[in-house]
Amino acid sequence: MPTRRGALAVLILAVGCLGATLPSVAQTPACEPDKVATKYPSLAGKTIKIGADPTSPPYVTRDPKDFNQLIGFDADLARAVFDCAGVKYEFFLGGWSGLLPAVISGQIDVMWDNLYYTAERAKQVDYVVYMVAATGALTPAGNPKKLSGIEDSCGLNAAAGLGTVEEAAFREQDTKCRAEGKPGVNIMTYPDIAAGARLVQSGRADLMLTDLALTDSLVKENPTLYSRGYKIVSGFSVGAAIKKGNADLLKLLADGLKIMQATGKQKDIAAKYAIDPSLQIDAEVKTS
Amino acid sequence: MYGRNSRRFGWLSGGWGSASKFVFISFVAAALLAGCGQSTSPGQMTLGQIVAGGSPVAGRDASWPLEFVSYVFSGFLLAGALTAVQITVLAMSAGLVLGLGLALVRLSSLAPLRAAAWTYIWMVRGTPQLLQLVFIYDALPLIGLKFDSFTTAVVGFALNEAAFSAEIIRGGIVSVSRNQSIAAASLGMGRFLTLRRIILPQAMRAITPGITNDTIGMLKLSSIASVIFVNELTFRAQQIVGQNFKFFTVFCAAGAIYLAMTSAISLLQGWVERHFDPEHDRKQRARPRSGDICGTETDAANLHGVIGSDDVAAGIGQPVLVSSNVWKSYGGREVLSGIELTVNRGEVVAILGPSGSGKSTFLRLISHLESVDRGEIVLDGGHVGYERRGEALKPVSGLAKARADARIGMVFQHFDLFNHLTAIENVIEAPIRVHGITRSEAKVLGVRLLAAVGLLGHADDLPHRLSGGQQQRVAIARALAIRPRLMLFDEPTSALDPELVGEVLAVIRRLADAGMTMIVVTHEIRFAREVADRVVFMDEGKVVEEGASAQVIDNPQQPRTRRFLRRVAQSEGIDAEEITAAAGP
Repeated sequence: MPTRRGALAVLILAVGCLGATLPSVAQTPACEPDKVATKYPSLAGKTIKIGADPTSPPYVTRDPKDFNQLIGFDADLARAVFDCAGVKYEFFLGGWSGLLPAVISGQIDVMWDNLYYTAERAKQVDYVVYMVAATGALTPAGNPKKLSGIEDSCGLNAAAGLGTVEEAAFREQDTKCRAEGKPGVNIMTYPDIAAGARLVQSGRADLMLTDLALTDSLVKENPTLYSRGYKIVSGFSVGAAIKKGNADLLKLLADGLKIMQATGKQKDIAAKYAIDPSLQIDAEVKTS
Repeated sequence: MYGRNSRRFGWLSGGWGSASKFVFISFVAAALLAGCGQSTSPGQMTLGQIVAGGSPVAGRDASWPLEFVSYVFSGFLLAGALTAVQITVLAMSAGLVLGLGLALVRLSSLAPLRAAAWTYIWMVRGTPQLLQLVFIYDALPLIGLKFDSFTTAVVGFALNEAAFSAEIIRGGIVSVSRNQSIAAASLGMGRFLTLRRIILPQAMRAITPGITNDTIGMLKLSSIASVIFVNELTFRAQQIVGQNFKFFTVFCAAGAIYLAMTSAISLLQGWVERHFDPEHDRKQRARPRSGDICGTETDAANLHGVIGSDDVAAGIGQPVLVSSNVWKSYGGREVLSGIELTVNRGEVVAILGPSGSGKSTFLRLISHLESVDRGEIVLDGGHVGYERRGEALKPVSGLAKARADARIGMVFQHFDLFNHLTAIENVIEAPIRVHGITRSEAKVLGVRLLAAVGLLGHADDLPHRLSGGQQQRVAIARALAIRPRLMLFDEPTSALDPELVGEVLAVIRRLADAGMTMIVVTHEIRFAREVADRVVFMDEGKVVEEGASAQVIDNPQQPRTRRFLRRVAQSEGIDAEEITAAAGP
């Protein structure tokens, strides 16, 4: 008993010293799951609905050992954040293109599935961003068309997820190609990643733009089928999105992500799913 | 686990018909050939390392048939299949009820209602169902209508199905001859009773294939509901593929589950079609043949026993039907122009006249299948389905009840028996459904009536198994079953082959002998002369001449009557020459 009390005293002292020398750490909120009513009064007793598309590895996907379970970087991070805040949650799983409309209409509370921040989207939802995105170009093995950048896409069959920023990037490139008098980009949209990968595998698409981590894993697992043509550190930041006007939930997400970053939990989870931990950025609220 | 599965297969193949087995076997064969086997190619490796503990369900080295089977019986996929089935069953049930309502509105006589139904169908059929679902799920909350995913899917699919099935049901309803409804109305059957008992059972065979297509389509299309967070079979298969990229094996397994479910729907379709196939139904059901109840084939005495209409106020020989100055026009064309006619109780009146003279219309006005424009028709002191408002007579709202109470038996040129019902079922339908007598009483009545028209041996035959003459005799028995106060015959022998005319006329003759009050529209001049007490000659919507039958036929006073009788006689040849001779120049 005395030893433990002594240890506690040392710890308090140490924290105190740290607090004095590093004020930022002292400001970092702590996990206080029993203080929901005081910290986020409007969320007390509520179950937060987290929307995700479980066909988006390695962010949200089914556990191969038990398909009823959900795993992935975003799934684990979301769980950690809400567990930390002491707020109950449940996952609502649907097609990716239905997630954001459901947030806006209030059918779900959070979209948390590798969602990029754009100013356009931020007009309708509030974000807490926590990492930056990198995009990879998945090509057939050996990159037969020697693609080295998105500007090489003129006249090609290019696959992108429906309603994604990659699709938008191809559309922009298409305009550029035509402006230069070259053939445009034939954009093929797919509903889920596996469908996109099939397009490349079958040769229907010359390339597919998608998340870098996913691209690299696909190439690593299937070296005879795929290569990475190029990568783009797009600078897009990735965040969880909620309906505008929910201050408590926004605060909860910001607090939680700051804690996950301060404790290194976010990087741990990233490492677990082979996502480059250096893509992490300081958690930040973005409302416009 | 596998032992249990194989037992299930055993049960399936034991219980299925050979056609279904063939389907099942060919699917398995197709699945083997069509690429499920390709899952062993290097392209089908997993994302093992990016996901925690990345071994696929049956292991990378497991042989693919085992893996395929393990996916088919995966609880995760089957739970998705169950969701698809639940949505389909609920949405289909609600959609069919709504669709029937919409179909009826589309067939209604009120233009604004028709337009509303048309607009609904136009909107729903013309817009993508995906957008409808997203609209219900994500836009309706803005006006305070917030449904969960499952409810949204059921509501969305039901509203969609309503539009599609409305058109299928409407097609089925209009495929049933309109004369079936008229015959039902003449028996006093109301609109919904007619729909339920007469129209829909006959329409069902036309409706069933289309509805089955819709059901199968809905079951498979429920995957689009993934956009509103419904985790059904296809979406779950996609999730597995999204994790392990084994498209062929997983999608083949999902396909097998779909095929099993749609096979069940196809079997159900077969059962429904057999159920509504009257021919099949008779073979299946071992019902006691009504012929066993009574051995007498033709029993004229029965007729006297069953046609007694003792509740007629008018005495024998007193006016029972009085038509005063009756006018009727269709679309500005005068069909009847002031018909005056009185029929006394027990009297047989034959109406002669060329086609288009308004004879049939007049009969329909008497039984109020059509409403008079002006004038009135009084049956035994009262109106059939009219009430006096100021000076004018207006049709009442409960017209079917009024017709039922009037008890006017009607026999049509084309018989118009209910095609899905046997002879005796045709006869006892109205007594049971309209007049509320018990089935056993009605059966006794039906047997007596069929015996009276000489058709007891055919009591359990469907109309299409009977000759025209037999059908018309059943139709007479059917009309007699409501204990009519007045019988109307609308050219009862015109659609018959010459050799069959006699048997029908013989029955009518017996009715006349039994004292039934009757109006017979006919071209059988000799019959009219022999059986009718009076003959009325109509032309161009007017009564041109009337009088004792012998007088009008043998010695017509009006040139138009003479011309008509001569023409009929010419067409009837030798048999009628004597009439022409008698009629004189």
